[in-house]
Amino acid sequence: MPMEEKRFYLTKQKLKELEQEHESLVVFERSKTIEEAPKVLESEDLNPEFLSFQEDMSLLRSRIMELENILNNHELIKNPSKQSQNMIGLGARVLVSIDGEKDEFLITGTLEANPSLGKISNESPVGKALMGHKVGEEVVISSPIKTVYKIKKIKYLLS
Amino acid sequence: MKDLLNFFIEIGKLKRMPRRGWVIRNVKNPESIAEHTFRVTIMAWFLGKEKNNNFNIEKIIKMALIHDLCEVYAGDITPYDSILTKDKKKLQQLVKTWPRFSEKKRKKLVEQKYKKENSGLEKLIKNLPEKLKNETKMLWIDYENGSSKEGRFFKQIDRIESFLQAMEYWEKNKKFPKKPWWDQASELFDDPVLLDFIEKMDKKFHKKEKPKH
Repeated sequence: MPMEEKRFYLTKQKLKELEQEHESLVVFERSKTIEEAPKVLESEDLNPEFLSFQEDMSLLRSRIMELENILNNHELIKNPSKQSQNMIGLGARVLVSIDGEKDEFLITGTLEANPSLGKISNESPVGKALMGHKVGEEVVISSPIKTVYKIKKIKYLLS
Repeated sequence: MKDLLNFFIEIGKLKRMPRRGWVIRNVKNPESIAEHTFRVTIMAWFLGKEKNNNFNIEKIIKMALIHDLCEVYAGDITPYDSILTKDKKKLQQLVKTWPRFSEKKRKKLVEQKYKKENSGLEKLIKNLPEKLKNETKMLWIDYENGSSKEGRFFKQIDRIESFLQAMEYWEKNKKFPKKPWWDQASELFDDPVLLDFIEKMDKKFHKKEKPKH
């Protein structure tokens, strides 16, 4: 079955982390297959150690493939041009007022989203709705209870 | 075998541990942590099948089964814990909205929770056979950090199960605050399969009554 074909929006830091993970897993996989592969057959039965080894290797392989898919289909999140920095886009830090209460979000791609840390995915309903809006504008989310997000400030802090 | 037996006795405690999120909302006879694990595992399996993109279903089922084991010792930590009050009226007011914190506080709360749960898990699995111990730990880290596609998907399924339970409690008692759950859903979920699932939830629970704006 083919891997999902989608673009992964990454910060420079996340890209570096994933590249490092990929490299170390590939090196690890190579060393495991050369040095540690147990014999397939133990007398006439399959060697259980080989089965367990294969299971581990297939998990490792699937992570390597997942990383390769991301690295081959990624797009780096960059600061927008000066004239577009008044609009919410990927990488924007947004100060909002939600039903009168303040909150701050960082708009990220799906791989870096972590709402517990205020990192909101650009593919979530709120992330999607905020994109392209400017300071002073209001975004209404009605899914299904109406909540108003008033945009107070937009900053880009990417290096 | 003795170590496995002791481990099974310890995790059995989750069958009798009520989920604190419901306790603070005054839910009568709230579900236990093990009851949440039961349904979230089936949801992870069946909704994972909907993904149709090389999902490792066995991994996601195992992840679901172990994701809350740490709570045997760490307890069930809720986002409201740092602002809880003994004043019952104020408490019921508090749970009407989703708690919002500064970036600094948010980071601190996430780190504290991770630390507490990590040491709870370490204590629980320390005498398990090496391979099972490592597998359990790796799966938990993957879930916590959302490292793999299964980890990221399951993190959202975990929240959707609670969301579904919240709506079931609301259906029984309309005083149950549902707004924070819908607010949270719009910020938290980004998986197309799960966004579709939420739409179905909206239709199911709001077919008779339009939500008040």
